[in-house]
Amino acid sequence: MRVLVRVLSLLLGLALAAAGALLAVEVAWAWWRPESPSLLVPWRQWRETLADLSWQSTPVLITAVAVAVVGLLLALFASLARRTNVGLREPSPGVTVETSPRSLARIVGTRVRGEDNVTGASVSATAKRVRVRATSALESEAQLRPRLSDAVRSTLADLPLQRQPQVSVVVDSRRDRS
Amino acid sequence: MTSPATRAAARSYGGERALTMTTGLLLLLLGVGAALLGYGVFGQDRATRPVLDPEVLRTLVDWQLAARVGAIVLGLLLLVLGLRIVFATLRPEHHPDLALNPTRGHGVLVTATAITEAIATDAEQVPGVSKARATMVGDEDEPALRLSLWLEDGTDVKQVWREVDDTVLRQARESLGVDHLPTAVRLELNTAERQRVR
Repeated sequence: MRVLVRVLSLLLGLALAAAGALLAVEVAWAWWRPESPSLLVPWRQWRETLADLSWQSTPVLITAVAVAVVGLLLALFASLARRTNVGLREPSPGVTVETSPRSLARIVGTRVRGEDNVTGASVSATAKRVRVRATSALESEAQLRPRLSDAVRSTLADLPLQRQPQVSVVVDSRRDRS
Repeated sequence: MTSPATRAAARSYGGERALTMTTGLLLLLLGVGAALLGYGVFGQDRATRPVLDPEVLRTLVDWQLAARVGAIVLGLLLLVLGLRIVFATLRPEHHPDLALNPTRGHGVLVTATAITEAIATDAEQVPGVSKARATMVGDEDEPALRLSLWLEDGTDVKQVWREVDDTVLRQARESLGVDHLPTAVRLELNTAERQRVR
């Protein structure tokens, strides 16, 4: 997402520069040589088309909605390009340490999968919250969940995290279904 | 104000994000406004008027000189702004060299690559670290170090966390003769070899 926003901002810059250059050149040209046809952009044609279209005509409405959707997408991309790292404590002043949410999820996932009677696990992590979804064939949710929660909490407590994330564990057990 | 170490963690895309966000919100407002106008929310007679309003055209003709000069100035401003955005986005990140003892008149300049290669080699000696990459960031007045470490699966993160500061960074500070080197360390668990535990 961060790369996308960089590319988008590059394109926006190019578009602004091109539009500005065209505006200045066309206005200056029309001022200097009022009789000659436009230089690069057929703006006289555009002027006639726009003078014929009313605000409630279909092409104008479609364009308006399209512009709004593009704007919404741009705003969405910009807000998703936030850095989402997990902060670790400073080992000494002036040294910051961080890791990625994916790495944190991997650490937790390795620990959970190493527990007895766990057949599989998927973990998603942010700095604030760690969600574990484990599957088990042999133990019910009531048996396995407290054990897994403790394991996850102790794994997290062992890491020098700036803040302890909340832990939520869900167990999908075949025994609960039978 | 964020600390130099925090700023060293990654290149800031704040400007790019702000630009994309502003443009997005502006387009959204314009689009929604035009659509509402077309649906007659601001009055049915306004909705039936042409997009290029004759009244607006008449005003422009009445103020022709001002409109022409204004349009040219606006065009040039947009051109400059657009080019500035392009160059700011394309500018590579600056990697400052480190000047040692610059006050004595015959100081030594250590190039950024020389420092970072030495630090990365040191960091790779730490048990559990499979790959290390160091970069000098910031400016000459306030250089900072960005150190990315890729750890092997099952490494004790706390151990690495302690050891990097105790050995690698201390050594770097001592050999460079500085008391203070703001550093942002990034720990990444290796994802190259995917585990298949199902």
